[in-house]
Amino acid sequence: MRETVLGILTGIRGDIDFENETRLIDDNILASLDIVAIVGEFNDEFDVEISVEDLVPDNFNSLDAMVELITRAQE
Amino acid sequence: MALSSLVFIIFAAICIGLYYAVPDRWKWVVLLIASYAFYLLSSPKTFIFVLLTTAITYIGGRLIGKCNSEHKAFADAHRDTLSKEEKKAAKAASQIKKRKIVALILVLDFGVLAVLKYFRYYLQAAGIFDTGELLIPLGISFYTFQSAAYIFDLYRNKIEPDTNIAKFALFTAFFPQIVQGPIARYDQLAHQLYEGHRFKYRNLTHGAQLILWGFFKKLIIADRLAILCGEVFGNHGDYSGGAVFAALLCYTVQIYADFSGGIDIARGVAQCMGIDMPHNFRRPYFSHDLSEFWNRWHISLSHWCRDYIFYPVAMSKFFGRIGKQLRNVFGDRLGKLFPVIIAQYCTFLMIGLWHGAAFKYIAYGLYNGTVIVLGLLLEPLLKGALAKLHISPASKGWKGFQIVRTFFIVVCGRVFPRAASFGVALTMFFSMFRINHGVPFSETMMSLGLTGIDYLIVAACCAIWLMISIYEERSARINGGDGTTAFREMMDRLPLPVRWAILLTGLAAVLVLGVYGPGYNASAFIYRGF
Repeated sequence: MRETVLGILTGIRGDIDFENETRLIDDNILASLDIVAIVGEFNDEFDVEISVEDLVPDNFNSLDAMVELITRAQE
Repeated sequence: MALSSLVFIIFAAICIGLYYAVPDRWKWVVLLIASYAFYLLSSPKTFIFVLLTTAITYIGGRLIGKCNSEHKAFADAHRDTLSKEEKKAAKAASQIKKRKIVALILVLDFGVLAVLKYFRYYLQAAGIFDTGELLIPLGISFYTFQSAAYIFDLYRNKIEPDTNIAKFALFTAFFPQIVQGPIARYDQLAHQLYEGHRFKYRNLTHGAQLILWGFFKKLIIADRLAILCGEVFGNHGDYSGGAVFAALLCYTVQIYADFSGGIDIARGVAQCMGIDMPHNFRRPYFSHDLSEFWNRWHISLSHWCRDYIFYPVAMSKFFGRIGKQLRNVFGDRLGKLFPVIIAQYCTFLMIGLWHGAAFKYIAYGLYNGTVIVLGLLLEPLLKGALAKLHISPASKGWKGFQIVRTFFIVVCGRVFPRAASFGVALTMFFSMFRINHGVPFSETMMSLGLTGIDYLIVAACCAIWLMISIYEERSARINGGDGTTAFREMMDRLPLPVRWAILLTGLAAVLVLGVYGPGYNASAFIYRGF
């Protein structure tokens, strides 16, 4: 799943080093438009329902945090 | 009581003194008394509305909190016995109950705001309600939006409800921020207000530095440029061409100096008591596009709109479904963009309306929304054009062009909120392209209320501000983070005599070069009116 998530992220923002960035939201690296696009792709790809309630910095600050969010949403 | 007045400084100094004089557990009481005293001294006739919003939001918050805890208890008790569908149904039932409470509180809170700020003239004209004697409550937009954020966060189960109405009253009315923000979130600010901080010399010096910096921007730059802007916008029929553009440019600097100066004073006073309020600006005029600008300008409002309007609309199932249907007609990209475009317009309509009900504010919102939407729609074309012209999007030249382009878009947009009406805004905008052949530009500029010395003072102070901003911007790029404290940290590393020399020079500059009106009172902050 990690590779698929990474593929989605680099497809939306190819200029970001998602493997190493851990403050994607806190440092304003990802914009709100990116977040909407990312969530849309996650929902389609993994058949989950990530909602507005899940849009907190901790869930989107890093690649691993996003993988964890999807795993939780699948449960 | 204006934040930049001498009376406010004396008031804040007494409050800070009392804050440290009482035991930790009573410090919040000092803040509450000071906040209510500040409001009663500033706007006594409208005090009742702050109490009303506080009471409504507090009670509503407790009710939502009760729904949250009941649902949690039910879910915990039936964790192993309920199916996934039953759990979903229980959650949905709880959500519906909460939604009803949220809707009621929002209608009441925003109803007060709407009647007093937006519909007062219509209601009075229609003879439905006499609002003639009522003033617009001080800071009503700021405390109403802050209260709404508290309710939304409770609905989303992000926070626990406040169980002490007196403490919650402090969160709603904390005196440095109630006038013009920043619009704080409950989980950021409340605990800092309630816990009580021990005296730290560093907090006091950092707070004082911020206050001084705020005064520097407000009194030397903003209030000086206000004279020029007042003349041109007040007599717009007399000016055209370069003079109108110069006034717009000056207003762009003035409003930034005015608003960010006021925020610095507010944050500085809070910092003196160890309370860290959120930043409201992150060098907005260095933005590469308008979306980024709104992520750096009036951050607390734009983030409020992002979290409570943009995301819910952009991610709503309703607009998502329409977007999916549109994919078949307009293609994948436009279909995906559809919910985002709707969300952008809703967001900027709210940002426009936040400033006031006049059409010029709505036009201001729509102008910003349209520029951003056009940017989104034309993105593939722009990328293609750059590739054909062999221009790298990462090159310094292109980045520099983007900053200048965004600044120009922002400058043009400023005409809407500043002009007397939408019609005047359009007239002034088009008059920029009409060259005034009669009087030379330099002569016109000297007749706008400022002398050559005034222009020099503004230019020198803006140069200092620009250098500090460049330093912070570079620091953010090299070291990460937002760079907002980089210059201050560099100041801390300077030898003590150098630091004091800088601070005393700054103080002398404010005292000597500041623009003071009758009774040594500075002119009112622009955002105080919102």
